[in-house]
Amino acid sequence: MGATPMDGQMIANAFHHAYWGFPLSLYFWLVGGSAGSFVVSTLGWVFGVKKYKPIAFFASNTAIVMLMIVPMLLITDLGKPFRFFHLLMLPSFTHWSAPMAWGVTFILTYPIGMLFYSYFVYFKNERMARICGIAAIILALCTHWYTGVVMQLNPSRLPNHASVAPILFLTGAYISGIGLLNILLWIRNFFVETKKRVRTSILADMGRLMLYGIVFDLFLLGNEFLQMTYGIGEEHTILYDVLLGPFRWPYLYIEIIWGLVVPLIILAIPRINRSRYWVLAASFMVASGVFGMRVWWVMATQFLQGHF
Amino acid sequence: MAGRTYGYNGVPPSKGKKGLKRYAMVVDLRRCTGCNACTAACKTAYDVPLGDWRIWVMEAETGEFPKTKRHVLPRMCNQCDQPTCVRNCPTKATFKHPDGFVLQRYNRCIGCRTCMVACPYNARHLLTEHRRDKRNPRNVADKCDFCIVRVTRGLAPICVASCTGGAMVFGDINDPKSEVARMVAANKTFTLRPEQGNAPQVYYIGLNEPIADPEFAFHHRSEQLHDRYNTFKKNSELGEELAGNIIDTDTGFFGIARQGLHNMINFIATAPAKFFRGLF
Repeated sequence: MGATPMDGQMIANAFHHAYWGFPLSLYFWLVGGSAGSFVVSTLGWVFGVKKYKPIAFFASNTAIVMLMIVPMLLITDLGKPFRFFHLLMLPSFTHWSAPMAWGVTFILTYPIGMLFYSYFVYFKNERMARICGIAAIILALCTHWYTGVVMQLNPSRLPNHASVAPILFLTGAYISGIGLLNILLWIRNFFVETKKRVRTSILADMGRLMLYGIVFDLFLLGNEFLQMTYGIGEEHTILYDVLLGPFRWPYLYIEIIWGLVVPLIILAIPRINRSRYWVLAASFMVASGVFGMRVWWVMATQFLQGHF
Repeated sequence: MAGRTYGYNGVPPSKGKKGLKRYAMVVDLRRCTGCNACTAACKTAYDVPLGDWRIWVMEAETGEFPKTKRHVLPRMCNQCDQPTCVRNCPTKATFKHPDGFVLQRYNRCIGCRTCMVACPYNARHLLTEHRRDKRNPRNVADKCDFCIVRVTRGLAPICVASCTGGAMVFGDINDPKSEVARMVAANKTFTLRPEQGNAPQVYYIGLNEPIADPEFAFHHRSEQLHDRYNTFKKNSELGEELAGNIIDTDTGFFGIARQGLHNMINFIATAPAKFFRGLF
């Protein structure tokens, strides 16, 4: 890793905090879960996959609830929480070159779209549900896309500053959303009458959807890390941090092994991937594994650059 | 680079444009003794809170005994011509002055810290709730402003005025007769992290390149510096609120889990107190 200690040592420097921390990681994870759940919700009513229609209402409401926690986290994380209104599309305040300003627009409009969608799904208005679903799914994707962009447009933060970042975020959102939804649907089964219960086959089919996402996520991560092996700038240091250093748990063990590889194996084995508890176990692993990704993605570069 | 401007309220870069001023600084490291007079003067003048700095001095030792050398590097906001912080600020709280200063409007800032994440130089900090003078801004981003209040009154920035070795030179780099322009013309100068594309306007003469390299700073911390940083993270009140500091001596599964939990508990515990701050 670079020069030997004999070449010199830093003996004084200012200390810097990690300016974004665990609350922001949790926020990225919740927004992702919300977007992922909503994607599943629209499968039936927008994309015409009939077997997912019964879970659409529950999935959409789950997405709404998850998105309701988000502003509380974000606003509380501000230095001046009561000034959040500076972000609310006031022409004199909003700075349109800032990705955070785009995000506020999405966070404000996305739940409204979901509420309309839920309303029409509840009253089984096929046409309006489809129209609102299309609008809301675009907003869902944009909402999570912007979270990736907020991290991406920091040129000095190296693994974040990659064009693959928003797609990685979206893929993580998709798989963690399905994972969370699977677990919530299973819990819901204990509280609803028999005919409304979600069949294991639906859970297993959602597991299959998750499997595609996992493969794509691993592919993207593989590409990202392949590039980082060239070691431009601080890339080698980041590789060290996430493979052997302080972030090995969030990245290597929690995200990669626990959150992607093990679920991939579970969901790829023919009979096991139709078994309810194996699918639920894989869902839990994926949902928690993506949280590991949010943690190292937000904090690894801030940890590294805190020393400069 | 033709007219790249950051943000809709952005002011285009003024370096090298006729009729415009572009204030810049040259730090002659051959003359810098690392006395920290600049740090102390700035801290005192602007009531910079404990643990934060508008200007600070990095120090490194290289070589092997008896052939050792001490390198110093005063660091501050580089008042970039293409400031990422300005582009990423969602409320136009930070902006560029036509004369080149990158400034902060405390009454607009919401404390989202996106500018701090965007800055490649770590030149920004969040002001704490506890200021020596309560009338001073709190819980918003702050930075070095090249002492605009002094410069507009014909004085040099306080770090320049206090520099004991005469290492810091300040002036309008667009004016070829100014000392800054002459020094830049006559010497080989370096800027920090030029590859970031920010067009920094603090020039260094005699820069030791390893010390200006973030990787070097990370991998070559002395043990004492390492310990002090971890102690700082453990004890900082502001750090508890920001809830993102990781202490790298405890990073096993339980260590990371404990730190994550600790940070979230701190975040929730400080939430009620900070919620109504914006009103006052």
